[in-house]
Amino acid sequence: MLELHNRARQLLETQAVNLILGYGEGHGDEPRPVFIDKPDTVTRLIFNERCIQNLAVYLLKPEVRTQGKIGIVTTIPVSRSILQLAAENQIRDEEVVLLLVQADGKVSEVTRFSELEGLVAQHETKIPAPDQEKISILQKKSREERWQYWVNEFNRCIKCYACRASCPMCYCTNCTVECNQPQWIPVPAHALGNLEWHIMRVMHLAGRCIKCGECARACPVDIPLHLLTFMLNDNIADIFGQRAGMKAKPDYVLSTFKPDDKENFIR
Amino acid sequence: MKTKHLNREQLPSFFNAITQAGKIVIAPSRIGDKIYFTKVDSWEQVDLDFISSTLSAKAALFPRWEPLLQFSGDGKMMTVKDTEIPDTETVIFGLHPCDTGAFNYMSEFFEGGITDTYIQKRRSKTTLITLSCKKADDACFCTSVGISPGASQGSDLMLTEMEDGNYYIEVLTDKGENLTASARDIFQDYAVTDKTPYLAEVPLKFDLTPIQEKLGNSYDSPLWINQSLPCLGCGACAFVCPTCTCFDIQDEGDAYAGTRLRCWDSCGFSLFTLHASGHNPRPVQSHRWRQRIMHKFIYSKSDDGTGSCVGCGRCLRICPAQMSITDQLQSFAEVK
Repeated sequence: MLELHNRARQLLETQAVNLILGYGEGHGDEPRPVFIDKPDTVTRLIFNERCIQNLAVYLLKPEVRTQGKIGIVTTIPVSRSILQLAAENQIRDEEVVLLLVQADGKVSEVTRFSELEGLVAQHETKIPAPDQEKISILQKKSREERWQYWVNEFNRCIKCYACRASCPMCYCTNCTVECNQPQWIPVPAHALGNLEWHIMRVMHLAGRCIKCGECARACPVDIPLHLLTFMLNDNIADIFGQRAGMKAKPDYVLSTFKPDDKENFIR
Repeated sequence: MKTKHLNREQLPSFFNAITQAGKIVIAPSRIGDKIYFTKVDSWEQVDLDFISSTLSAKAALFPRWEPLLQFSGDGKMMTVKDTEIPDTETVIFGLHPCDTGAFNYMSEFFEGGITDTYIQKRRSKTTLITLSCKKADDACFCTSVGISPGASQGSDLMLTEMEDGNYYIEVLTDKGENLTASARDIFQDYAVTDKTPYLAEVPLKFDLTPIQEKLGNSYDSPLWINQSLPCLGCGACAFVCPTCTCFDIQDEGDAYAGTRLRCWDSCGFSLFTLHASGHNPRPVQSHRWRQRIMHKFIYSKSDDGTGSCVGCGRCLRICPAQMSITDQLQSFAEVK
């Protein structure tokens, strides 16, 4: 912890960054994001196994961006998010300093996103076992049963959009659900409105989900909607041999065109 | 006020007496790890062992979406048909005092001034059975906003679980009286009893009046920016809140026929205040967060000094960024 505090203090004192984004004590057992702009308050920073919220979501928020250069306490999911955001031209090396916290408490400073590539490559991107188990159960169901399963799950959706708000990859300033001329997605949280929202969300994350699971964690009514983007991510990897959040270069699957593509329609 | 005794084993019979009288019952029911207020058909679906339901019971009066009217026309004449609210009586069973307090606020909001006839009709056909809280968690703060784990205001019938698992019943209104009369033989007369030993302890989290004074002078405080930085701008807090009553009107259909709907909305969304001109009077999240707090504690302040927050703690429990309304209010108290 001391090392994290020292690094953060140094960054603020030397004005290498204007704001440190990290985890602090929150309500009860759950840490909460803290935004530190004074060197003498860096002791509010904590880091432990409970610090799981994907803080990368804040990097593109206008309120945070206007604070200046950001130092961010970085975990593996945050690293993958930053790589993907870089690949999508949303964030540049010079805008962020990463305080990478290792399992042994050591903190290393990263200023070039490409340095993260080696690190994320070492960490498995396999779907966690409990989620894989749920996916396997779903995959054994018939198409009709699977449909019914999701209809039942989406039935609880209240359209609070916490899934969207908590996702680092949902950064559009004008989301499809907010377009009302025409109204692409029905606003009410009725069966059709919920179904169209979730299908749209999932399709827009195809090949972009970095598998942090933040959407499901944020969902107040426990819809396991991360399973959809996780599965889609695996499908994309199987078909195109690429996973989101592995490289800082903008050549991820949705922005890549190859003249020798095996599909005729695209040529 | 009449007071009665109900044997624990008689709860299913009480439930059956209500449903046999043709009333709909909305009660806490478990889905996965969470409790939801939902329409139940049998006592087996009811689960009274909970501190707080994930969503409040407000949807019974103010559904997450509802059709207000149907319209149709031939391009020249338009016919409009209001939605009929059914005459069915509804009983909401197992509300905690905070949620009953929220129903008091909703009545004030939707029925005071210009009456919302849809909600007024539903409310007039709804009977509230409150269950005193025998346990609480550290998100609960009803006592800081003028409610308590045994508060009965607004209830038709109040149940308090006693030491032996049986219930002490307070019959508070004619509607409550009708309910006990429909199952007369299962309720025994009982002496007026002090409920205190059976109630959860909810320690004070803050002193409301001085905080309201501070908030009243804090519209331009820099604290709003710092406090709202973690806010992700979702509507989870508003949608789980039992007293958030904002809605959006939407038309579905085309120029010739369709339905006008009312849907839940939230002041936390950037779209909430976006004008057709493109101007947004609350362009940043700190303005929206300030609106939420100010509305709860200042703008909706009633004669008794309380605002519209009932201290249920749902927003604290579900916020994906762990924002805590109690911690934030406390930080206003500390402003010199």
